[in-house]
Amino acid sequence: MALRDFLKPLGVFVAVVLVVVAGTALAGLAFGSSGGDGAPDGEDIDGQAPAQYQPDNVAHEDDPENGTLAVDGGGEDKRVLVDTRHANQFDGADVDPLVEALVREGHTVDVGAGSEGSGFETGYTNATLQRYDALLVIAPTGSFSEREIDGLEAFAEGGGRIVVLGEPRQFSGGGSLSSGSSVRPSADALAAAFGLRIGSETLYNLDDDANDNNYESVYGTTTGGDALTAGVERVQFDTAGYLVRTGDSDAEMLVRAVDGTRTADRGVAGEYDVAARNGNFVLVADASLVERSELFDAHNERFVGNLLTFLVSGDKPDDVPPTATPDEDPGGF
Amino acid sequence: MPEQADASATAVVYVVVVVVAVLIGTVLAPVVWSATQGDGGDGDPSVSVITLRGGTDPGNVNRITDDLRAARTNDSVEAVVLRIDSPGGAVASSEEFYLAVNQTASRMPVVAYVEGTAASGGYYGIAPADSIFVKPSSTVGSIGVVVQAPLSTVEEAGRTSRTFLRTGPDKATVSKDSIRNQMETLHNAFLDTVLTHRGDELSLTRSEVALGRAYLGPTAVRNGFADETGDLDAAIEEAASLADGIDGDGYDVAFREPVTPAETSVTLSDADVARVEGNVVYVDATDEGDQFREPVRYYAVWGIPVADGESASGSGTAGNATATPGGDD
Repeated sequence: MALRDFLKPLGVFVAVVLVVVAGTALAGLAFGSSGGDGAPDGEDIDGQAPAQYQPDNVAHEDDPENGTLAVDGGGEDKRVLVDTRHANQFDGADVDPLVEALVREGHTVDVGAGSEGSGFETGYTNATLQRYDALLVIAPTGSFSEREIDGLEAFAEGGGRIVVLGEPRQFSGGGSLSSGSSVRPSADALAAAFGLRIGSETLYNLDDDANDNNYESVYGTTTGGDALTAGVERVQFDTAGYLVRTGDSDAEMLVRAVDGTRTADRGVAGEYDVAARNGNFVLVADASLVERSELFDAHNERFVGNLLTFLVSGDKPDDVPPTATPDEDPGGF
Repeated sequence: MPEQADASATAVVYVVVVVVAVLIGTVLAPVVWSATQGDGGDGDPSVSVITLRGGTDPGNVNRITDDLRAARTNDSVEAVVLRIDSPGGAVASSEEFYLAVNQTASRMPVVAYVEGTAASGGYYGIAPADSIFVKPSSTVGSIGVVVQAPLSTVEEAGRTSRTFLRTGPDKATVSKDSIRNQMETLHNAFLDTVLTHRGDELSLTRSEVALGRAYLGPTAVRNGFADETGDLDAAIEEAASLADGIDGDGYDVAFREPVTPAETSVTLSDADVARVEGNVVYVDATDEGDQFREPVRYYAVWGIPVADGESASGSGTAGNATATPGGDD
């Protein structure tokens, strides 16, 4: 076969391919849409870095956790009882730093008073209370009997010191808000004996300058010139409640949540006191104050230090509260 | 008959050549065709309607960002209407959604039409829109972040961290403070994004927006979370009127395939909720199979944690998303 014999079919081949391809191209240009100019992708790439995403704007700074928890000795060695008889909701590890600070100054601390009397008892008898100079009650959820409250009143009146870290009603347990149960901390009856009551709602403050790292972790500022607030400017409460003075009570408010703080359910802004003192009784509406994650926030360690100093600064005779009552029996259930 | 034989052989060769040429041409034709095509239709400018019905989860958001990129790179698309029904989803993908819409809104008008819900992460995405259209049942707002953290992980962080050797005290552990800190950071970014784009319209303060409340359409129009009451066509007309390249009614409307929930879902309900404390949702860590897992997941979702047994019922328009739309307003 001559070369020509190859060239002719090849020419036809090339011609047909060209016709099909060119025809398609022409049809595309004629009937298709415009565009597709093959512009480089780079022309559509345009990075963005929104101003509101910049670290200076969004980065959140927690309060530094520093300071030391110190008890002002006072010289005399005191016995402090940490309550465990009222279904107290705290982790043993949380009171360790407190115990440490007290024993360093020579005081004795009992977390729970050992067993006594009937196994059904939930509170402390006057006989037990006589052995101590001070009582620290953290997050109680079991009730205080009338008899026990009488004993504690006599205890405080006779020079014994009582500090209660209570909590407002909170949801807990259960699978969700709908099935969870609300826990009413039981410090109310005891607090009422000292002219105070814990309000029914927790507090929040959305202003970033008014909380540490969450809308619930509100700051409080000291309002009184009491020894309990010495050196304390700002306290941070993790889940604060508020206190109400009952009737013509003499209770003195110590720490108030900062301006703009509101109650969780109704969202009412107002002045909410979180800590108060009535004689030898101190009530703080936030038990989380002593949790490890909160203890060194803001001036919490100074405030807790003052509370501990308060506990060991009383002057209580050994026969207080009196056990003379003949029908003395352990506290109620 | 050598000539005849020669001629028929030649004919066979030509037939084969032509057939092969046509085949090759057919293969090349689509390539050539597409090279001559833009993405648009008949040359009229168009408004692209992009639809998201489902959570702002990675899968859905990837497809929406693809749709938005297609709109940006198509010369005939002059405006975008974002039709949305989304209760939000993971914070990471909600941010992606926002960035894609923000990018698009910097090139052409974007108008949002809230078909059902544009709350939390869903609202994050439409915040840069030039205008937001709602109807009475549209739900918008719910600006905020929740975190899903296994209760045991947080409570036992100290204990579990002693079960293996680590190079540093914060390695492989989480704390309530660090979770809250990170949550605040993400919240700041979200909140300030809303204020950046809607600040002039909103009659609410930063703190009021931070409440995380969801609003129905009429309230939203009044407080600035939305701009106007209207339907999808009203949003399309608005988009067309804002577009420089569209003159009067001389535009086409191109509906992209709606993005609806695929395999992904927000997973707040896939574990038992053990405790809700503020906006931290603690879950039971029942899947002990993994030695290590992501300690926390941050979500920008509108909803409330699903109680045991309810999760199977789904959540209507929210697709598989989190949490049953429960009103917090």
